[in-house]
Amino acid sequence: MTEPIIEMYHVSKTYPSEISVLSDITLEISSGEFTFIAGPSGCGKSTLLRILCGAEKPTSGEVVVEGMQITQPGFKKIRQLRRRMGIVSQDFKLLRDRTVNENVAFALEVTGHTRREAKGKASDMLRRIGLEEREEDPILVLSAGEQQRVAIARALVNSPSLILADEPTGNLDAKMTLEIMGIFSDLNRQGTTVLFATQFTGLIKRFPFRVIQILNGQILNGKKGAVNEIQEAKTGE
Amino acid sequence: MTFFLQYVMRRAFGNMTGNLFPNLITIGIIAVSMLIFSTFTLLAFNLTHFLKIWEDKIEVIAYLKRGTPAGEVEPLLTRTRLVEGVEIVRYVSPYDAMSFMETKLGGQKNLLQGIQPQLLPPSFEIQLKKDYRNSSKINDVVRHLREMAQFEEIQYGQEWVETFSAVVHILRLTQWILGGLLLVAIVFITSNTLQLTISSRREEIEVMHWIGAGPGFIRVPFYVEGLIQGLLGGGLAILFLFLLYQGLFLHIPLSVQAWLAKGPVLFLPLETIVWILLGGMVLGFFGSFVATMRVLRYK
Repeated sequence: MTEPIIEMYHVSKTYPSEISVLSDITLEISSGEFTFIAGPSGCGKSTLLRILCGAEKPTSGEVVVEGMQITQPGFKKIRQLRRRMGIVSQDFKLLRDRTVNENVAFALEVTGHTRREAKGKASDMLRRIGLEEREEDPILVLSAGEQQRVAIARALVNSPSLILADEPTGNLDAKMTLEIMGIFSDLNRQGTTVLFATQFTGLIKRFPFRVIQILNGQILNGKKGAVNEIQEAKTGE
Repeated sequence: MTFFLQYVMRRAFGNMTGNLFPNLITIGIIAVSMLIFSTFTLLAFNLTHFLKIWEDKIEVIAYLKRGTPAGEVEPLLTRTRLVEGVEIVRYVSPYDAMSFMETKLGGQKNLLQGIQPQLLPPSFEIQLKKDYRNSSKINDVVRHLREMAQFEEIQYGQEWVETFSAVVHILRLTQWILGGLLLVAIVFITSNTLQLTISSRREEIEVMHWIGAGPGFIRVPFYVEGLIQGLLGGGLAILFLFLLYQGLFLHIPLSVQAWLAKGPVLFLPLETIVWILLGGMVLGFFGSFVATMRVLRYK
């Protein structure tokens, strides 16, 4: 059996305004697994991913990523952990005053690659996701879908061992969504663990991957999560 | 390492040009603060220099009581030479004093007509050892001389030296108090401007956190920005001070210039200039350090 890369034990998150976002989440994700985190908008998918990358702390519970207990008080290795992660955020988090290539290369530059090396690798990644024509364009002239693809390229350019993608195809058309899913699937076949949060059940049905379904901050389909089993009625989709 | 330095310099200059106005204001304020401090340093430096010149020229004149038998002069000379701190003692007879006055008066020496040399008191001109030519040690020598009954009066320009020493002391004190206040002001101003810069780069910093950039990549460009601001501020202060020094010196009246020629007004030595520039850099760095501590926390 493959070692778990992510373990969450009784994780809850309540904001100071007493709004409970996650409640008693316990799950395990094995290394090399492709997992959909499914659920409607506002169900707690993004918060779960933010907790996994250390951007938020849970109110209670324990989170272990790559064997490191990131919820431990005074945990200092979040930076090293993030370097091994590819994170695609819902709001893209792109630098608006830079070009497409500079945005992707930036992820390599800050982790110690030379500018030339970073630029070259960024070009390769942009070619892979079909943005080679727009490489030197400023981010601001790109459509939302194109910006989303730049954010994906930046997350993948470091060849991460774990990808946390929050609605990465939310702004893409059907054709592009399938292309991006193809890229994620290829990476997963090469051994990368992918955690893919989405509210689109149509997408989940097309791919035979494990689904963890969340509703109102709770997992609906048990600790392990069934493989491609959607409770459409409960998620309301 | 070279790559990191290139990155840091590129980011630091990028930050500065991207926030040109706040940066210029900071550099200007650092320059003004450092100029005030440097002006006091220059004043204190020159007054100390003058004091040193005058102290080097200090000598004690001990007037002998009228009617001191000639036979007592030689033993008294020997005793005086043995006083701690005394280097050379020269006996000035009333006749020597008269010819000295005649030389001093030059063309007006006829003013001395009718004055008998015997009216002038004989004296000892006492030169002190180098270490004793300051207001505190000179008093020790004078105290010993006063114990000798043959001396009627001892003159050494005490008040002049003491007043001047006090002025220099007050100036030095003001320099450091002002320096301390300006130091706090510079750190505060640099820190606030850099907080503005950091705020304007918040998006980029957030992305850097997001992709696991090390603290060196995030913070060091801001430290370098503070160092550059301090260096430029310090450099401008020195430049303005030099222009001020040149301008003032050129406009000093001829009569005063002639007096100053005995002890020229000096500009700050290279060592002090380097210290001022380094001081500016340290303050700029400290300001940026405070700013990053306050604003940049890993998320």
